[in-house]
Amino acid sequence: MRLSVEHGSFFYEKDRMIFEDINFSVDSGEILAILGPNGAGKTTMLRCITGMLKWKKGKSMLDGENIADMPSKKQWSRMAYVPQAKGVTSAYTAFEMVLLGRSSHLNPFSAPGRKDIRKAEEVMELLGITYLAEKKCSKMSGGELQMVLIAKALAAEPKVLILDEPESNLDFKNQLVVLDAMSGLAQKGMTCIFNTHYPAHALQRAHKALILSKGGDYVFGDTASVVNEENIQKAFGVQAVIGEIETKENIVKDVIPLSITPAERIIADGNDHKIQKNSENERAIAAITIIAQNNDMADRINSLLHAYSEMMIGRMGMPYKECGLYIINITLDGQEERIAKLSHDLSLLPGVSIKTTFAKGEF
Amino acid sequence: MKEKRIRTLHIGWKIILIVLPVLTAFIALGIGRYYVSPMEVFQSITAKVSGSVSGLSDMAEMTIWNVRMPRILLALLAGAGLSAAGCAFQSLFANPLATPDTLGVASGASFGAALGLLLGLDMIGVQAVSLFMGGLAVTLTWLAGAGKNKGLSSIVLSGIMIGSLFNALVSLIKYIADEESQLPAITYWLMGGLNSAGYKTLMLGAPIILIGIIILFLLRWRMNLLPLSEDEAKSSGVNMGVLRGITILCATAITASCVSMCGQVGWVGLLIPHMCRMLFGSNHMALVPSSISFGAVFMVVVDTVARSATAEEIPVSILTAIIGAPFFIILMRRSGGWQL
Repeated sequence: MRLSVEHGSFFYEKDRMIFEDINFSVDSGEILAILGPNGAGKTTMLRCITGMLKWKKGKSMLDGENIADMPSKKQWSRMAYVPQAKGVTSAYTAFEMVLLGRSSHLNPFSAPGRKDIRKAEEVMELLGITYLAEKKCSKMSGGELQMVLIAKALAAEPKVLILDEPESNLDFKNQLVVLDAMSGLAQKGMTCIFNTHYPAHALQRAHKALILSKGGDYVFGDTASVVNEENIQKAFGVQAVIGEIETKENIVKDVIPLSITPAERIIADGNDHKIQKNSENERAIAAITIIAQNNDMADRINSLLHAYSEMMIGRMGMPYKECGLYIINITLDGQEERIAKLSHDLSLLPGVSIKTTFAKGEF
Repeated sequence: MKEKRIRTLHIGWKIILIVLPVLTAFIALGIGRYYVSPMEVFQSITAKVSGSVSGLSDMAEMTIWNVRMPRILLALLAGAGLSAAGCAFQSLFANPLATPDTLGVASGASFGAALGLLLGLDMIGVQAVSLFMGGLAVTLTWLAGAGKNKGLSSIVLSGIMIGSLFNALVSLIKYIADEESQLPAITYWLMGGLNSAGYKTLMLGAPIILIGIIILFLLRWRMNLLPLSEDEAKSSGVNMGVLRGITILCATAITASCVSMCGQVGWVGLLIPHMCRMLFGSNHMALVPSSISFGAVFMVVVDTVARSATAEEIPVSILTAIIGAPFFIILMRRSGGWQL
């Protein structure tokens, strides 16, 4: 299901715009990361998208239908929202909490039936938290509670999942648990939007990114082209480097903040201050090596590659059935930005090893 | 396993919750300064139902049907109503300390009753003025506290303000009331008691309580959404404004009606729902029915003690606290604290 925002504008006080004429969209199977400094309005953005706050101008659309005109029951059986997992004081058990996610499917005076109970059990199993069923939410750790809240959202059988800082306040392992769960859902066709404080998580997980900065300025686009050192400096006022760490299987991107950019410099930059997309339109030649762990994934990779066939100058695919692997080598000649996007989208596929090498020199 | 997971009531508990109030009421019918044995009570009831003559003395018949029956019916209703209302308020405000009086309704109703007694109205008149004032207090609270972008806590705060305003007005009435006759009547009434119970007052008050209880009972699954955070509740696709409105309306109507008939009976609305949370967990599917049932039982027991323990009747609110507080502390220590 496609979620899009058209000309979205919002303010609390008239003289201080929070968003002005924002446009973006996410499709099925895609993850959109919303980045921005504290106070830029990340949570406000999610609340506007979902209609909990009304846009002052513009609209949010679900498959071309204006959310503001949808009955709330209809909207919330397609869309689910996972709030920040803090301050939950209710002593419901995990199972009771997940079952509450079925509310949008029930009539006011009816209680959940067998079908609802089965659905709740299903989503808990899908997320691997069946063992939590009897535990009270008020006694859970942050990671457990976050997973329960995601399960509650999924119990509504949504097509669009919106998460507010799902990995905040979690340790390394639980961050991975939550982010993997999100990536897994996107793989199955869910449209995902999440807020995050970590640009690295956007780079590692999201197909698209929306960076908000204070004062209503924003940039939206493919993660690979939008989340760069320049935009991070402009939006966050922090000089950072984006590093590529090579593992045996992949090249992982990470963002390391170095120093705070002095305020005078940001102001002195004047118009250059506006965050914008990379314009690396230079021609580049690159080779990508891909190893997929199963045939399903190979199909997915093939259909992704198909969209870039105009740059493809060489391609070799080889199933290695004995080990259940599928190995693809491609050579590309095209815009550097497009090659980077393809490389990024491939890297988001689970169980796929991929490395991209660019040729030296200018063409 | 599944049975346990969804934490609805086990069939055994369901039977207990239905039978216990009936049984308690049946036994209470016989207890008092004029003792009637359970066998005789049973005879009298079967005779009444079948329309034959029971063979009991007129005195026994009078005691059972004209004195004790309306009083026990009132106790059942008030206990069930106040504890259902307390349960609703605690969930609504996500606050374990919320009681039926949180929105100032009991103070308003008390003021109305005191005013009625000062003006020398009959029991029905007192009840009507009391109901009206209870409703007025809630309306004032709502007008003062509700508004755009204001949370529920501002309603709680304005409820406390309106409550103390009406408490001051009650004090004013006590101050100007005649010391010989009116002041004792008002003071005694404020302490709470079911001695004014009669079929006439029940005719006016009981339907309000019953309807309130039935609606809360039917909404019990939905009430699970009340303690959640605002965004979580909204994203459930349920119109929270309507749900909150109906819950408040039912709970305050019940409270006002109870106070108008039996004065300020404290503790029931706090004690019973928490006791049920400790026993059955926070799921309202079990919490609401158990609160209703145990509230009714508790009130009948306390009122029976109040009217038969000593020669002079003990005001009910004194007893609810004396019985309730220690009982509650023991329960709390055993189950490891209270939570919503």
